[in-house]
Amino acid sequence: MTSSDNKSPHRTRHASLPVFFLPALRRGGAFWIGLGLLGLLCSATVAAAPNPIQSDFDDDAVLVTLPASAPASDRVPSSPEAMAREVQRLISEARRSGDPRFLGYAERLFEQQAGQALTDSLLVLRGTLAQSLHQFDAARQDFQTVLRRSDVPAQRAQALLTLANIEIVQGNYDRAQSFCEQLTAERPGLIAASCHAQVAARTGAAKAAYDKLAATTRSMNNVNIQDYLWVQGTLGDIAAQLGQSSAAGHWQQVLSQDPDDLYTRAQLADWYVQNEKPEQALVVTEGYEAIDNLAVIRAIAMRRVNHPDATVLASRLRERFEEALWRGSMLHQRDLARFELDIEQRPKDSLEHAIANWASQREPLDTRLALRAAIAAQDNTALGQLRDWLKQQNQADARYPEES
Amino acid sequence: MLAKQLLAMVAMLAFAGSVLAHKASDSFLYVDMDASEVRIDIALRDLALLVPLDSNGDQKVTGQELRAQRNLATQAIESAITLTNEQGACNIRGQAWGLSAHSDGPYLATRYRVDCPNGKLPDQIEYTLLFDRDSLHRGLVQITSGETRSLTVLSPDQPVVDLTGGSIGPWSTFGTFLYEGIFHLLIGLDHMLFLLVLVLPATLITRQQKDQGTDRSLKSRLLQLTGIVTAFTVAHSITLALSALDIVRLPIAWVETVIALSIAAAALNVAWPFLGRKTWKLAFAFGLVHGFGFASVLGDLTGGVSNLAVALAGFNLGVEFGQLGLLIVGFPLLYALAHVKAYQRIVVPLVLMGVGIVSLMWVVERAGSI
Repeated sequence: MTSSDNKSPHRTRHASLPVFFLPALRRGGAFWIGLGLLGLLCSATVAAAPNPIQSDFDDDAVLVTLPASAPASDRVPSSPEAMAREVQRLISEARRSGDPRFLGYAERLFEQQAGQALTDSLLVLRGTLAQSLHQFDAARQDFQTVLRRSDVPAQRAQALLTLANIEIVQGNYDRAQSFCEQLTAERPGLIAASCHAQVAARTGAAKAAYDKLAATTRSMNNVNIQDYLWVQGTLGDIAAQLGQSSAAGHWQQVLSQDPDDLYTRAQLADWYVQNEKPEQALVVTEGYEAIDNLAVIRAIAMRRVNHPDATVLASRLRERFEEALWRGSMLHQRDLARFELDIEQRPKDSLEHAIANWASQREPLDTRLALRAAIAAQDNTALGQLRDWLKQQNQADARYPEES
Repeated sequence: MLAKQLLAMVAMLAFAGSVLAHKASDSFLYVDMDASEVRIDIALRDLALLVPLDSNGDQKVTGQELRAQRNLATQAIESAITLTNEQGACNIRGQAWGLSAHSDGPYLATRYRVDCPNGKLPDQIEYTLLFDRDSLHRGLVQITSGETRSLTVLSPDQPVVDLTGGSIGPWSTFGTFLYEGIFHLLIGLDHMLFLLVLVLPATLITRQQKDQGTDRSLKSRLLQLTGIVTAFTVAHSITLALSALDIVRLPIAWVETVIALSIAAAALNVAWPFLGRKTWKLAFAFGLVHGFGFASVLGDLTGGVSNLAVALAGFNLGVEFGQLGLLIVGFPLLYALAHVKAYQRIVVPLVLMGVGIVSLMWVVERAGSI
């Protein structure tokens, strides 16, 4: 200690600063960085003035085109059958257009019936609606009730298939497997085969699942078109997981028959972006800017090709997500997270939303996003959790970032 | 005037050409507590569910069709909004009526002046528009009061929003956090001890000075003290801001441990200047760590505070006031004591030893929770 006392005059000049504080904060520069950031924060909190009110609009101007399928009145449907038809119509419209207002109209119809017993077909519809709103537990309940109560094969098959899908989406592959088995027992065929293939692909047997499902499809005669397209969608998903270029072909077949299959369209667009074909992603997403997930993929593709409208679309998306955050209930958390990662380049915010999304949805694109965000945010804890889960499931996907 | 109209037309055209978002239905309510005004924006699409906007049934709503239904539209909106204060319901008077734009298309925007009983401000807003048509409909509310803007949401489950609770003024936020800052400095024994240890050297008369007969004046001591306190203040302000604004985050258990270590090190440094004799440099370096400690206290308090910058400024200033108060009381006391012979020989070493022991105990205790 005495020796350190002797040396201390020298040490003051060189080593008077302790070793544990952040190098970036040395000297006065840090103060100005802090002050600048403070200013930035203050300006952000006051930037939310509403758009001006325009009173001088033209009499002949068409202000808005109303959707033809909006509900005509607020009257309660006259019978369960009439209600089922109306709800079915609204759900189809929501799926076709990607417009969640129709889901709100449909849910409102059920709320008007609160406390009353629902028919089995209405229960199937309410479960389907809940699934569309990502209320997975409510959906499970309704479908379980259908399975207990109903003898109608179509309703039971619908319930089993949707239950299997919910479990696949949430990454509960054992439970999904048992629903697929029940589906095979009650309604063998392509849909049940597709169900098994999806589960197998997510749990380590993608190649075998793909080959088997493709062979089964070839061996079947008189396949109805809906089942055929469903299987093409699954084959596309598994091919993409394997990194096979045939994925695009499967999805294109689906879209050629059903251009409004928004799920498949998003898968294909994402595939093009993943495989460095942004021009093709632009073609697939053209005219679909209204739908969040397709718009986000389009914005990424535009950025890749330095498209002149890239910033316009990005700023429109920014406004949408700001409104969604204000609203608080996030149906499209994955899209927000991807926007934050790939457009805004805010990996930490992205990771927060990607992980929140991943808590309820674990499709490959959800998992890939969470992985990418964790890597970008350098969050090894989150990354470790994701990788552990993938190991547990024995899940591999060519689209996931490589382990370093 | 013409230029302005042209500009408006261009804006409309750009608007009509763009593809608009599909999103769940929202209305926007802007409550201005300063001007006692409320503005509500409702999507034309949503309004068409309540009012027959498309009179010719061609699925298109023209400017003329909208104007023709102005009365019905106004009635629908006014019957769905109620502003009240404890004296009763407030009247609303139309001020402006027209179109505005949000991410999913054109909205009808109406601005009202709000007149409440006794000329006071409204306390509450209730909103029920469209809830019976669309269960996903929400009213997105922005409450402006002075410099503060807060956001909240009206839903079928929560159709009433408290306007006073949501609109704590910036001065009130500032005052609250100023108080919290003072309070937390004064109850935070570790910051006080650190300050004490920093101040001690300014009260000491070194052997060298004594030998040379250059005992320093009060003025030069105060100057030294000012330098030390300023360095500490600047440093912890920097890290407090960085941490409160979520720019830098350190694990709190580490921070607490290092704070305890810093006190021990500073105490030791008074006797053995192994970190140098420039106390202000020491104050700056350790101040950076103490800022993270203050930030963790602040972080516990700011949940739900809309204006973090104001809270931060208030809290920081509170910490400085607390510090200043301590010095005003403590420094003259120590300075007076410094002229007592036993001060340098007995009091200071005892204080340093005590502080050192206490802080090392903290180190052990806090390191355990890392």
